[in-house]
Amino acid sequence: MSSSNLTMWVSSTKPDLDPLSSRASISSPLRNPSFSTHHHRSSLAVRCGLRELRERISSVTNTQKITEAMKLVAAAKVRRAQEAVVSGRPFSETLVEVLYNINEQLMTEDVDVPLTAVRPVKKIALVVITGDRGLCGGFNNQILKKAEARMADLKSLGVDYTIISVGRKGNSYFARRPYIPVDRFLEGGNLPTTKEAQAIADDVFSLFVSEEVDKVELMYTKFVSLVKSDPVIHTLLPLSPKGEICDINGNCVDAAEDELFRLTTKEGKLTVERETVRTPTPSFSPILQFEQDPVQILDALLPLYLNSQILRALQESLASELAARMSAMSNATDNANELKKTLSMAYNRQRQAKITGEILEIVAGADALI
Amino acid sequence: MNLKLCLLTPNRIIWDSEVKEIILSTNSGQIGILPNHAPIATAVDIGLLRIRLDDRWLAVALMGGFARIGNNEITILGNDAEMGTDIDPQEAQRALEIAEANLSKAEGKRQAIEANLALRRARTQVEAINVISQ
Repeated sequence: MSSSNLTMWVSSTKPDLDPLSSRASISSPLRNPSFSTHHHRSSLAVRCGLRELRERISSVTNTQKITEAMKLVAAAKVRRAQEAVVSGRPFSETLVEVLYNINEQLMTEDVDVPLTAVRPVKKIALVVITGDRGLCGGFNNQILKKAEARMADLKSLGVDYTIISVGRKGNSYFARRPYIPVDRFLEGGNLPTTKEAQAIADDVFSLFVSEEVDKVELMYTKFVSLVKSDPVIHTLLPLSPKGEICDINGNCVDAAEDELFRLTTKEGKLTVERETVRTPTPSFSPILQFEQDPVQILDALLPLYLNSQILRALQESLASELAARMSAMSNATDNANELKKTLSMAYNRQRQAKITGEILEIVAGADALI
Repeated sequence: MNLKLCLLTPNRIIWDSEVKEIILSTNSGQIGILPNHAPIATAVDIGLLRIRLDDRWLAVALMGGFARIGNNEITILGNDAEMGTDIDPQEAQRALEIAEANLSKAEGKRQAIEANLALRRARTQVEAINVISQ
C-alpha cells in the first residue's frame, strides 16, 4: 500500500499537482492505521529532479493547509452540534417526565393508540441516517455496512423491508443499487432542526399507520467520544406506551437515562466528558384530570416523543460525523507533515550534491588551466 | 399567588417565568387559566396562546402540543412556537396566501390534510401579529 502510494507520487509527471489529486493521495495512507511513519521513511526513494521536488513540497504544503483548516472547522462545528443537543434537553426531559406520569395514570384504563400497536411483522422500514459529505474516514461506510448487514438478516428471516435514506451519502449509495427498495430520499441539512425531524416523522408515521410497514427501525451513529462512535439500531415504532425506546434486543434505551457529552479542553487537548443524567421523575399531582380523552392526549404526546427521538438521532449522527472528520483530517495533516519533511530532506540533499558537483567542476577546471 | 409558565419546544425554551393568566387553545376549545387552577392535562391545538403580564397581553403562535397544569405550574410542550413580536408580518401574510392557494388545488386526502395543517399554522401566525398590533 505504501509503495503504491509512493510510486503514485514519484511517477506523477504532471508538474502542477492540483490540491484535489494530492489530497486524494494523502488520504489513502490514513485509511490504513498500521501505516507506520518508520516504514514510510525507509521506503521513500525519491527519484526526480530538483524542480519537481520543489513543486511537490509546495503542493503538499497546500494540502496540509487545507486539511488543517478542515480539521479546525469540524472542531468548531462539533461544539455547535453539542449546543444544539444541550438546548433541546429541557424539552426531552420534561417530555419523558410527563409521559411517565400520564402513563402511570393510564395504566388502569384500556388505551389503544395507533403508534403503539404491535402487529406481526411482515415488513420493516429502515431509516438510515448518513452524512452529507465525505472526507470523514469510515463514518458513512460504517453505517451503510451496518444497514447492509441488517438487510441481509431480514432477508434470511424472510421479512420484507424498505429504506428511508437520510443524508446525501446514503442517497447516492442507495441510488446506485436499484435492487434495494427505497421509500424516500431525504436530505440531512447542516444543523438538524425540528423541521427535518418532522419530515422524517411524517413519513414514518404515515407508513406505520397505513399498515404498509409493521415496524420502523432507526439506524444512526451514536456519539461515544471524539474518537469513537458506534452505528446502532433502535426500534422507533411501535412505541411502547410507557414511552421507552428499545433496541432490537429489547434493551431499553430511554431518554431518562441520558448521557450528556461535553467537549472540554484538558492540558491543551480536546477531550470529551460524559456524565450520566438520571432525570428525576417527581410525583406529580395524583389527581390529574384529563381535559380530553386519554387517547387524544396520548395522540398529542407520542408524536412529540417520536419527533424528539428522531431529532436526537440526527444530532448524534451529526456530532459523530464531525468528530470522525476531525480525526481524519488531523491524521491527514500529520501525514502531510511527515511527507513534507522527507521531501525537503531529499530536496536539500540533492541540492547539496549538485552544489558540491559544481564546485568540484570549477576546481577541476581551474586546476586544468594552471 | 402567581402562575409559573414554562413553554418548551424541541429547539429551545420560549418562556420560563411568572405570569398572571393565560388563555390556551386546547383540542376542546379555549380555556383560561388563573392561579389555583385544578390540575389538568390537555392536548393543545394549533392556535394562539395568550399570556397576561400585569395588564399587558402577549400572543404566542403555538403549533400544537401538550400542556400540564397543577400546583400553579404550567408546562407546555409544543411542536413549535413563536412569539408574536418575533414573526415577520409580511412573511406570515405571504405564507398564508400560499397555504390558501395550496389548499384550493390539493388533490387526494393526504394532500388536503397537509394543506389544511399548513393553512392553520399560517393563520395562527397572522393572528398572533394582529393581537399585538391591536
